[in-house]
Amino acid sequence: MNWVNICEQTALPDFGGVAAWFEDRAIAIFNLGERGLFAVDNIDPATGVSLLSRGLICDLEGDIFVASPLHKQHYSLRDGSCIEDESLSVEVYQIKCEAGKVLVKRAGNHSLV
Amino acid sequence: MGCAKTDLERKPRLLVVGNGMVGHHFIEQLCDQGLNEHFHIEVFGSEQVAAYDRVQLSKYFETGSADSLMLANVDTYAKQGVTLHLGKKVTGLDTENKCLHTQDGDLWFYDKLMLATGSYPFVPPIEGKDRPQCMVYRTIEDLEQIQQAADKSTSGVVIGGGLLGLEAANALLTLGLDTHVVEFASQLMPVQLNDKAGDLLRDKIEQLGVSVHTSKATTAIVAGESALHRMNFNDDTYLETDMIVFSAGIRPQDSLARQSGIEVGERGGIVINDFCLTSADDVYAIGECALWQQRIFGLVAPGYQMARAAVSHINAAANKAGTPSSLVKFEGADMSTKLKLLGVDVASIGESRGFDKAQFVELTDNQAGTYKKLWLDESGRYLKGAVLVGDASDYSLLLNQYLSGDELEGPAVDLLQREEGAGFEMKDNAIICSCHQVTKADIVASVQAGSHSLTEVKACTKAASGCGGCSALVQSVITQTMEEQGLETEKGICCHFEYDRQELFHLCQVEEIGDFTSLIKTHGKGEAAAVGLGCDICKPVAASIFATLENEYVLNIQHANLQDTNDAYLGNLQKDGSYSVVPRIAGGEITPDKLIALGEIAKRHDLYTKITGGQRIDLFGAQLSDLPMIWQELIEQGFETGHAYGKSLRTVKSCVGSTWCRYGVQDSISLAIDLENRYKGLRAPHKIKFAVSGCTRECAEAQSKDIGVIASDKGWNLFVGGNGGMRPRHGDLFAIDLSTADLVTYIDRILIFYAKTAARLQRTSVWLESLEGGLDYLKSVVIDDCLGVAADLEAQMEKVVSTYQCEWRTSLENPEFLSRFSEFVNPEKRPKLNVEQYRYRRGQRFPVGSVGTIAVTNLPSDTSKNVELVELSK
Repeated sequence: MNWVNICEQTALPDFGGVAAWFEDRAIAIFNLGERGLFAVDNIDPATGVSLLSRGLICDLEGDIFVASPLHKQHYSLRDGSCIEDESLSVEVYQIKCEAGKVLVKRAGNHSLV
Repeated sequence: MGCAKTDLERKPRLLVVGNGMVGHHFIEQLCDQGLNEHFHIEVFGSEQVAAYDRVQLSKYFETGSADSLMLANVDTYAKQGVTLHLGKKVTGLDTENKCLHTQDGDLWFYDKLMLATGSYPFVPPIEGKDRPQCMVYRTIEDLEQIQQAADKSTSGVVIGGGLLGLEAANALLTLGLDTHVVEFASQLMPVQLNDKAGDLLRDKIEQLGVSVHTSKATTAIVAGESALHRMNFNDDTYLETDMIVFSAGIRPQDSLARQSGIEVGERGGIVINDFCLTSADDVYAIGECALWQQRIFGLVAPGYQMARAAVSHINAAANKAGTPSSLVKFEGADMSTKLKLLGVDVASIGESRGFDKAQFVELTDNQAGTYKKLWLDESGRYLKGAVLVGDASDYSLLLNQYLSGDELEGPAVDLLQREEGAGFEMKDNAIICSCHQVTKADIVASVQAGSHSLTEVKACTKAASGCGGCSALVQSVITQTMEEQGLETEKGICCHFEYDRQELFHLCQVEEIGDFTSLIKTHGKGEAAAVGLGCDICKPVAASIFATLENEYVLNIQHANLQDTNDAYLGNLQKDGSYSVVPRIAGGEITPDKLIALGEIAKRHDLYTKITGGQRIDLFGAQLSDLPMIWQELIEQGFETGHAYGKSLRTVKSCVGSTWCRYGVQDSISLAIDLENRYKGLRAPHKIKFAVSGCTRECAEAQSKDIGVIASDKGWNLFVGGNGGMRPRHGDLFAIDLSTADLVTYIDRILIFYAKTAARLQRTSVWLESLEGGLDYLKSVVIDDCLGVAADLEAQMEKVVSTYQCEWRTSLENPEFLSRFSEFVNPEKRPKLNVEQYRYRRGQRFPVGSVGTIAVTNLPSDTSKNVELVELSK
């Protein structure tokens, strides 16, 4: 899998989330300033609704999470796990900035999914 | 149905005459001890209703119903095997044959008999005392009569300025009457208070609009000229009034004992021993009808103690193997009392009127309106009595000192000069709850056994479940014990702050903190401050605090990332990720043109349309990126945001009131619109709903709202703390017959005080119940300004009102704010999806998979073509 150009870096809101189309799916991109960029599935696995980009960022248990706007499950931005329900998780994507462009790629160990 | 004595019965029969508070407590104690298994128990109540809380009787007028006063009912008794006969008067007692006669001619035999007949109000033998609308104040039935009479009256007099008389005066005041109190002695509450305390109480009560007439003996009640009655006094003056309530003391209801030859006191009262046994075999008496060592005890706590003594005696007799140590004696009771009369704190302890050779410390504070006096023994080292008026916060400390009998540690005056909030050491055996005789040690033990909240401790120990006067003290013992155990008392809204919402509000206000980063850097816990991100609990709390304090646009760069789900996109998120749109329709009034415009916009965007419970119109199914266009159209048609997405004022529901309605007495619709326009945009710990009704028929259901206003013929009655939803609660009557200006002032103060002091996501109903001192405290803050903050509260509200903005207009006028509504950063890369997301029913659009788990079919009578069978969801 290759890096895919999503958008200009300036299009990302500071310290907030935004949804983006990546391949056949919607992802949520979070711009946490010095902490960097994070990308996970936009679909909340608890409900199947595409809206995680609209969730609040949380600092919990030494990790960074997004809280689903619907029923407030927390998903880790680093490994996609869910605090409230072990059986739920979101896919995490590699994301980086190069020459002012935001690039996203499937994480290596999920490349066959 | 009577029972013949020859009936074969396995169980001995225990009959109880009277189902008041003490009689009810006796039954509870019997059942606690399992004696309902041993005895066949029948209870006779002369009133039509089961036991209720007579101490709180005046609440009846505040809530308009007796429901909240009820302590017992026939069903709960029946579950315990106890039969309760209501409205059945016992007319005779035959101690020789051990039976009772009831008014219907039945005969009831007993093995043990309990007399808990209470007392009756004393009506002095004054000429004219039987004229119409001359009443007493004792039972719910009396209150119903008082209420009926008050409907026809403009003025009312209470004869008797004692404790009950002032309660009755409060009731008349609540009913909107021009209220007078006539007292024979030269001061109010002559039994408990000395003259100075009585005078201060009089000043305070007169400030509330009650006229007090002391040193007046009524000689006759005759027909009046300007009112129904004229009361002639012994000093040749008179007073005219429409109704009279006698509250000149109580007399023990001892007639059954008297006619059956049981020993009674010279001035009444059934003579009992330390086990509450009367002079007749197997006959007990407890409560206000009983005379112990020549004393009648007119409070509920001593009655409860008598009940316990009697139960222990009955128990010991029933289980002959019972150990003598389980016997409890009644050994007299402390008559100290603390109460709020017409909103004034009054307390008396021990020998509150002093005694010969007593030393004393007296403190009069004219500025604060308080009076305190301590009575000490001859040596000045032991506290023997106290009286407090205007501020009874020292009551628990003084009562403990008095009951312990310990020598004072320092000068007596130190007892009155305690530092604010300083705790004090109580002995383990100190009684904290005198209603249920719960000691400090009992509470400590229950906390150590794992009860960590007031509710849990109440359930385990019964402490604070009687009159409730000791709840604050119980809470302080809980906190203290938990701290001693090294347990963390729950504090802080989340893992990032160790402050609760009220404390954070205070910090932001005092230190003028207006953004989350500064707040968490300066006041977050160590690690949290370093990371600085917070969470989905503290960020919305901070956003709400900033909004109440500064009322800035909620999606500006500092605040946008703090907002919870709905505020974050100025819409109400629905289950499918779409939003609903609710424009403001103040008071529910809408012109036909605007209604048509709304319909056209909904039609254009294919929005599911529904009328809400708050008298407005909710448009569902808008995608995030459609919101700006829909709002552009709404604003062009003259609409503004309805703040349905905020923890803020929602709607002011109303009826048409005097504009159209045949019954309306005030213009409720105009008031509703004005109130909605005043408070729209105010953000608070939770949503706030109002309603205004134009008459007492209450069509707007104002009593179920946070703020409810009901028109009276003299102005507006204000209710606070109502709620619908899953925890319904009727609002408490806060003030009556207000002018519109006063009404608005009070609401300003109440709402800002709520916004400042409530916990996160706490509705006004729960907030009001959790406020220490409850409704009375809120009244003293808002009406009497006891904290001296009224001006600040009003200024705060004025700031919110003057900085109102329609958030959607602001968003549309500033394109930089609109970018967050474009959901996808690369919409052009949207893959082709062919997923059916909506289906149509009854001519409108619904999300697919939106049906419930119960099949809804078209009813046989429904022939509408639009009704389809709805499939079950998977």
